[in-house]
Amino acid sequence: MADLLNTSVSGLLAFQQALDVTSNNIANSATPGYSVETANLVPEPGQATAAGYVGSGVEVDGITRAYDELLAQQVRSSQASYSSLNTLATQASQVDNLLSSSSSGLTSSLQSFVNALQTLSSSPDSSGARQALLSEAQALTQQLTGYDGQITQYGGQLEQQIGTDVTQINSLAGGIASLNTQIANDLAGSGNAPNQLMDQRDTLLDQLSQYVSVSTATQPNGMLDVYIGSGQALVTGGTPQQLSTIPSLYNASVLDIGLASGGGTADVTSEISGGDLGGLLSARSQVLDPAQNALGQISVALATIVNQQQASGMDATGAAGQPMFNVGGVQTLGASTNTGSATLAVTRTDISALTSDDYTLRYQGGAWTLEDATTGQSIAMTGNGTSANPFQAAGLSIVVSGTPGAGDSFLLQPTATATAGLSVALTNPSQIAAASLAQTAAGADNTGNGTISAATITNPSSWVPDTYTLAFTSASQYQVTNSGGALVASGIYSAGQPITFNGAAVTVSGAPAAGDTFTVTPSTAADAGDNTNVVALMNALGANTLNGGTTSLSGAANDLVAQIGTVTQQAQSSATAEQSVNQDAATARSNLSGVNLDQQAAQMLQFEQAYQAMAQMIQTSSQTFNSLITAITDG
Amino acid sequence: MPISTVSFQANALAEMEALDSALSQTQSELSTGLKLQNASDNPVAMVEVNQLNAALSGSQQQVTNGNAVTSALQLEQNSLTNATNALQSARDLAVEGNNTDLTLSDRQALAAQLQQLQQTLLSAANSQDANGDYLFGGTANTAPPFVQTGSSVSYQGSGQVNQVQIGPDQSVSVGDTGSSVFMNLAAGNGTFTTSVGSGNTGNASIDPGSVTDPAAWVPDVYTLTFSSATQYQVTNSAGTVVGAGSYTSGNAISFNGAQVTVSGTPAAGDTFTIAPAGKASVFSTLSGLITTLNSSTLSNAQITTQIGGAIGQIDTALNNLDNVQAAVGGRLNAVTAAGSSAQTSQTNLQTSISQLSNVDYAQAVTQLSSQELALQAAQESYASIAHLSLFNYLS
Repeated sequence: MADLLNTSVSGLLAFQQALDVTSNNIANSATPGYSVETANLVPEPGQATAAGYVGSGVEVDGITRAYDELLAQQVRSSQASYSSLNTLATQASQVDNLLSSSSSGLTSSLQSFVNALQTLSSSPDSSGARQALLSEAQALTQQLTGYDGQITQYGGQLEQQIGTDVTQINSLAGGIASLNTQIANDLAGSGNAPNQLMDQRDTLLDQLSQYVSVSTATQPNGMLDVYIGSGQALVTGGTPQQLSTIPSLYNASVLDIGLASGGGTADVTSEISGGDLGGLLSARSQVLDPAQNALGQISVALATIVNQQQASGMDATGAAGQPMFNVGGVQTLGASTNTGSATLAVTRTDISALTSDDYTLRYQGGAWTLEDATTGQSIAMTGNGTSANPFQAAGLSIVVSGTPGAGDSFLLQPTATATAGLSVALTNPSQIAAASLAQTAAGADNTGNGTISAATITNPSSWVPDTYTLAFTSASQYQVTNSGGALVASGIYSAGQPITFNGAAVTVSGAPAAGDTFTVTPSTAADAGDNTNVVALMNALGANTLNGGTTSLSGAANDLVAQIGTVTQQAQSSATAEQSVNQDAATARSNLSGVNLDQQAAQMLQFEQAYQAMAQMIQTSSQTFNSLITAITDG
Repeated sequence: MPISTVSFQANALAEMEALDSALSQTQSELSTGLKLQNASDNPVAMVEVNQLNAALSGSQQQVTNGNAVTSALQLEQNSLTNATNALQSARDLAVEGNNTDLTLSDRQALAAQLQQLQQTLLSAANSQDANGDYLFGGTANTAPPFVQTGSSVSYQGSGQVNQVQIGPDQSVSVGDTGSSVFMNLAAGNGTFTTSVGSGNTGNASIDPGSVTDPAAWVPDVYTLTFSSATQYQVTNSAGTVVGAGSYTSGNAISFNGAQVTVSGTPAAGDTFTIAPAGKASVFSTLSGLITTLNSSTLSNAQITTQIGGAIGQIDTALNNLDNVQAAVGGRLNAVTAAGSSAQTSQTNLQTSISQLSNVDYAQAVTQLSSQELALQAAQESYASIAHLSLFNYLS
């Protein structure tokens, strides 16, 4: 009888606890991160009797939460991937929106500039056409500097966002560390897992995986060690490691990521991936920096081509043309760890060899070496770095002065700051050099039918202004003499092939007769109606002058639009795919750990019935006892 | 497999949100009319559209260039016509003046008219366009290219003309240099000039002559000497005799692939010179003619010979003007052809651009209604099963 009572009471208590757990589950059915808990009902040990072992009831052995480590890891890793791609897509999409516009984008502005040149070629001495060209130059400059300024702004916002993310990560790490301590204490103290605290810790880990990729290792004492990125320790037991932003090696306004370890701060930027932070770092190196460099390459090409052509021509006042554009120079940054006193003077020499990469110049083992900062590939240099014999590589000329320390290095950015320094240098429309520096004419007494083209000055620095006579000693032999009679060029005549001398080039077509002459004379202000230099400039702008002679100026602009568009498109579609993976993982985890109200309702019914039955049993036990007492008292 | 209540709702919501955003994308395409708004929508297509737009803009500019060139060439045609008419009148006057019955004052009256015609020619050669640029100055078109000092006119313009682009690979000259139109003409008959010896006493004159066999012609200064009224000899500059014979007035005298005709009665010892032609301009031709007509000291033979030579030069000049007119006409045709070719290519470009970037309304509207249907179905089905719960049935 006592056993009957005890068994029944044990049942009542157990079912009451089970109902408590069920009620808690229902109350938390909408709580994010809550794992459904189950009361473990185990039978009490049996009592030995003559008839055999009789069970002595039921007890709640413990309360387990439904949790699977693998499912949780899948959720976090897909969350980190998705956050990273989503951030990359958002950042890239900003630049994509900026550059995408077929009606008013960069290629459209370049075409407007060329159109203004075409109008000028129809009436080179028209001040209206000249002014229109200067206005187009201004518009083009403003568009380029506008894009560059916007990208710089996005970069600044990105650096701020990095700082915010690092703060968030530190706060989450601190929370995880203190939960670790609490969980370990509770586990050691009661021997039971503190389910609610562990749920909280899991929630913090989920949030952390939004910022950076996360992996964990469980300690026997219930603590969880947290690693981020490629395996950098962020939380060790109850101690969080401080994540910080540190100035990058070459540029203090560019932030790198530092992690406290072993008493110092290690630069872990290259080890960080995944999450919003990983996405921001990717966006900086895959979208913003390359875009700015590519814009710079376009600005440099525009300014160089136009300025060179100005120098080959004569403006409306009769003077040689002055540069039309100012453009920013090469940016050189010394590493903050440099010990020596070396300084560099770097200029661009060849726009065809210029790329949109940055370069690192290093002094090691007594020699200077150059490598591509993006790919790490080493680049061969000619020369010895003195001003008489500068280092030449990648379209740059480098002069080194001062004394470098061993291991010193410099970051060379040939195009990054070019656009910021782009401006129109000419103020007066008369300064546009529309005419060539030399005029041609056929001799008055020619008997053949040879015709001479306009003269172009292909090399302004070797052009010697003088009256030159191109004489055909026979139908196939020519000679060029200057005004003093000295021979400056001669050769076999081939129709349509350029004849060059002293920096000038002319082409003769048709069949000149022996004795025919042509003259090349310096242009004067009276020749302001000549459009030769305008035509030459249009040809130069349309020619493939970039990337080793494979790309034109508008080609480079389109390449930039396509590159950013492709990065954006890929990031967007990868993000969508990863989001779906993340949703599936979250659903799988939620199906295991989440509350199903129907299931809880059924359990509630079950325990309620059992409780009622148990209460009946207690009454029965009381009745049997009363019967016994009544029987003894009566008898 | 159990499904948690939370995940059931979250998934249903996520699917509805996805349908919502697809629907809103389709709506945006319909309202802007563009399916290609950003390079990320289709990077390759965006680049192509950029290139096509640039080509379209370039083609439109080339048509504008063509219009400017057409105006310039049409003005040039007018000036050439004016010059041709003036030269034609001058020729008529020259023919009129080649009459030995005219008196000095008759000839001087003709000379005065020729003077006027020369001014007409000069102003035609110095024609300007609407901007004040001189048509025949070449690249030196800001000052008058033809400058008269005394009775001679010199060319101050340049020797080259501008090329302007009228089509994708086509450029055309916008004019002609004054030197090629009005100067640098071959004098005489184009190969040689003939003149009467200044000491001649007979009354024979010589015509401009012609080259009968270009291969046999040897450029040199030849002297035709009459040893008597009926015997002649032609010697070259070295004194070698290259032709001789008996003379009949009006018969051709041939030597070294050339032929000249002497008319009238030469006296013994009279000479005539045949020299290689230099260069003359229309202005120097008229000036020479004016001087000849005004002269009171020249013999009739000399006047006849010189007027004959001048007429030959005027013919050369008229021929040249014709050639220039034809060339200008050819260029105008080229511009017209380039213009209509540009029309065709612009239409093609616009079609390509439209195909790449404009939305296909039929397809988009169909897509919109199917997306609407899907969203409706998702919403209705969610509404009907979301409230199902065992708790509804526990009393």
